[in-house]
Amino acid sequence: MDSDRLQAARGAAARDALLVVLSYIPFGLAAGAAMATTGVDPLLSIATSPVVFAGAAQLAAVQLLGAGAGIALIAATVAVINARHLLYSAALQPHLQSWSRPQRLLAAYLLADPVYALAAARFEKSDGGGTEREKRAYYFTAGVTCLVGWSALVTIGVLVGGFIPDWVPLELAIPLTFLLLALPLVRDLPGLIAGAVGGLAALAASGLPMGVSILVGAAAGIFAGALAMGHEEAARA
Amino acid sequence: MLELVAVLVSGLVTFVTRVVFLLDRRLRPPKRVVRYLPLIGPAVLAAIAVPGILAPRGELTWAESVPALVAAVVSWLLWRWSRQTWVGLLGGLVSWWGMLALLALLGVSR
Repeated sequence: MDSDRLQAARGAAARDALLVVLSYIPFGLAAGAAMATTGVDPLLSIATSPVVFAGAAQLAAVQLLGAGAGIALIAATVAVINARHLLYSAALQPHLQSWSRPQRLLAAYLLADPVYALAAARFEKSDGGGTEREKRAYYFTAGVTCLVGWSALVTIGVLVGGFIPDWVPLELAIPLTFLLLALPLVRDLPGLIAGAVGGLAALAASGLPMGVSILVGAAAGIFAGALAMGHEEAARA
Repeated sequence: MLELVAVLVSGLVTFVTRVVFLLDRRLRPPKRVVRYLPLIGPAVLAAIAVPGILAPRGELTWAESVPALVAAVVSWLLWRWSRQTWVGLLGGLVSWWGMLALLALLGVSR
């Protein structure tokens, strides 16, 4: 019985994560192909997937390396691009607090955007995503599936190039995926306001360096959502 | 060698951003903040999604934004109806391609 439920959690995680990997095919191949043009050792470019596991930051780091940037600049750039993960870590903390420390450290290593989105949608369901063991089964299966899938895509991109012809437009695949990952997390009006303001603020800030615009959007969205929460509570009181 | 160190440092920096609140049970978001945590998902994920939807190829023009926005609405409706992410994704992409083809037939340039 218990093992059936664990198996079901793993199956759901693998299905959910595989869809994310599919939608990442264009970006993964293109990122790999772009890394291959930098002059950085192809093996090292491929290694960024398991070592960093954060697409945009990997691409930026390899491009900076290819341009001869120093380690400090690369580290600072990666920190800015990935600063949003701090928010994921805070948001998942209540769900992961009963896990052992090694489990939490492994969970942190796997905490990429889609892994956070899948886990948050699962854990914020009315049943809380099941028992702790089911939650772990879901999280680690989804995380490892994304890690392996993403690494494979980048490897193919580095070795073979982005072989999707230009006339197949796929630029919308990732934004649509993130929209679909966000939808289950919008449960009330403050959540909707946080998403709408966050998205538009990030668009308005899109002239800023990558990563900064996401942070600007996130801050504006969370602030607007919090105002709406306060307003709702004041109206109820 | 320097390149390898740079990649390892990038991995370490990324790990640090992800582990901050998972490292130690005593290090947790302040109580006053906890109730706002559910806003993080919609805000951050929309901040990633919306610029890519309204300017899918980096340009904010009517011919680029309207088809992509309609595709996003189709995606959302299909997801609401089916509760299946893949249905929303596939339906959104197919409707986007359809509209791009139609615009090309009509001779609308981006």
